[in-house]
Amino acid sequence: MTERVITLKSFFEEARAGRLTGIRCGKCGELAIPPKEFCPACQQRAWGPVPLKGEGTISSFTIIRVAPRGHAGEAPYAVAVVKLAEGVSLLGRVVDMPLEALTVGLPVKFRPLVKGEQTVVGFGPA
Amino acid sequence: MRRVAVIGVGLTRFGKHERNSVELFAEAARDAITDAEISPSAIQALYYGNVTGGEGERQLHTSPLAASLLGLTNIPTTRFENACATSHVAFRHAVMEVAAGISDVVLVGGGERVLHIPTDHATEYFGFCSDASYEQPVGLTFPGVFALIARAHMEKYGTTEEQMAHVAVKNHRHGVHNPKAQFRKEITLETVLRSAYVADPLKLFDCCPFTDGGAAVVLASEEVARRHKRSIWVLGSAAASDTMFMHEKRDLSRITATERAALGAYRQAGKGPQDVDVVELHDCFTIAEIVATEGLGFFEPGMGGIAAEKGWTSVGGKIPVNPSGGLKSKGHPIGATGAAQICEIVTQLRGEAGPRQVEGARVGLTHTLGGNTATVLVSLFGRD
Repeated sequence: MTERVITLKSFFEEARAGRLTGIRCGKCGELAIPPKEFCPACQQRAWGPVPLKGEGTISSFTIIRVAPRGHAGEAPYAVAVVKLAEGVSLLGRVVDMPLEALTVGLPVKFRPLVKGEQTVVGFGPA
Repeated sequence: MRRVAVIGVGLTRFGKHERNSVELFAEAARDAITDAEISPSAIQALYYGNVTGGEGERQLHTSPLAASLLGLTNIPTTRFENACATSHVAFRHAVMEVAAGISDVVLVGGGERVLHIPTDHATEYFGFCSDASYEQPVGLTFPGVFALIARAHMEKYGTTEEQMAHVAVKNHRHGVHNPKAQFRKEITLETVLRSAYVADPLKLFDCCPFTDGGAAVVLASEEVARRHKRSIWVLGSAAASDTMFMHEKRDLSRITATERAALGAYRQAGKGPQDVDVVELHDCFTIAEIVATEGLGFFEPGMGGIAAEKGWTSVGGKIPVNPSGGLKSKGHPIGATGAAQICEIVTQLRGEAGPRQVEGARVGLTHTLGGNTATVLVSLFGRD
């Protein structure tokens, strides 16, 4: 048994400093995005933190043109599911890339998007 | 476990209402009780579904409030919330209560009202059904969730925007014949294809509307149901879940919770997709209908778009899907939708659907999906 090593708070504190952290199961090797109590693959509880390089490719994306309150002034903006090199995926806002240039398979790199107290996962050019 | 039947259904008109969501449910429940030809005092429990009442109407503790508006204050009441699958989840639990022999007659349904608030507020409240740490801050919306699914389906199978548009055209064509539908107007393929993008590749006419409305169903044990001439039997009701996180979906082109819930419901009913005559499924976006027709086993993965294009899912086609007009044309009051789909299937199986009747329908299926495809319910119904 191990303690839960990465909380949401610590994941985003690390992300704010530019570091993405995954968790790897010490029993079966499953890699996951925290937090997670039990391993979804083997149901054991033996997580250890692993740094993720933040490099990946877009597996799907959309351009949000009708935004919710709170993001209204930001539209249009791109959101993508990015498959990271280590094998896990992460959802993020795509920035610093022309919207019309986005394609499935495009390489991107993680960057934190800091807005006041909030840290948001972002991806920019690889 | 005892057999369970639907003995009464009720539905408000879908669209904009001045009354609040609990009042809308109460109106539908009144009609369901009248339809069931029972005394309100026969009801032994109330299961109520609502999603945004806390945010949009500053109202919580809504299930005893619903009972109060109905004048039924001595029964246990429970409120359910599972995003857009809310009242189908409530229905499954009500079925279990009757099947287990705890109650003989249970009232279940839902109500939702959102058209009194601005669209960006409603979009935000619906967005609360996705994760507040990884997804909402990124600005992901529900059209965005299904746009990610659509893009993956297009990449993998070559599904086209035009095929998706066919779903919208078909459901609007069906909805013309539904007096309760929000939009009773045919639309053309061009209208869909020329509408503005909301979340690429989904356009305005790929999306269901915001809707106010209520729906209710009266469930009864076999002993009670045998005394009613228009009872429709619940053959199976299964729930499945999947990870909440878009980043954890193994294959964005599939909705695995639909596949698992369908398997469970078919197994309970001893039936398969080939036995189903009429379907009400969760077409919150056109791509959702395409993926659902695959996940429910009507078409092979990748064939859902072609099925829509060929008219196989129209009334009169191989497997009629959404004769009510679906969420797209009938409307989508999220807390009431699951119960509303059940109302339609019961009406179809009773042979009371008028100009939108699927002739000779004996077995029907309802499918309701909640949130980031994380909750899915499938139920099967039969005339005998």
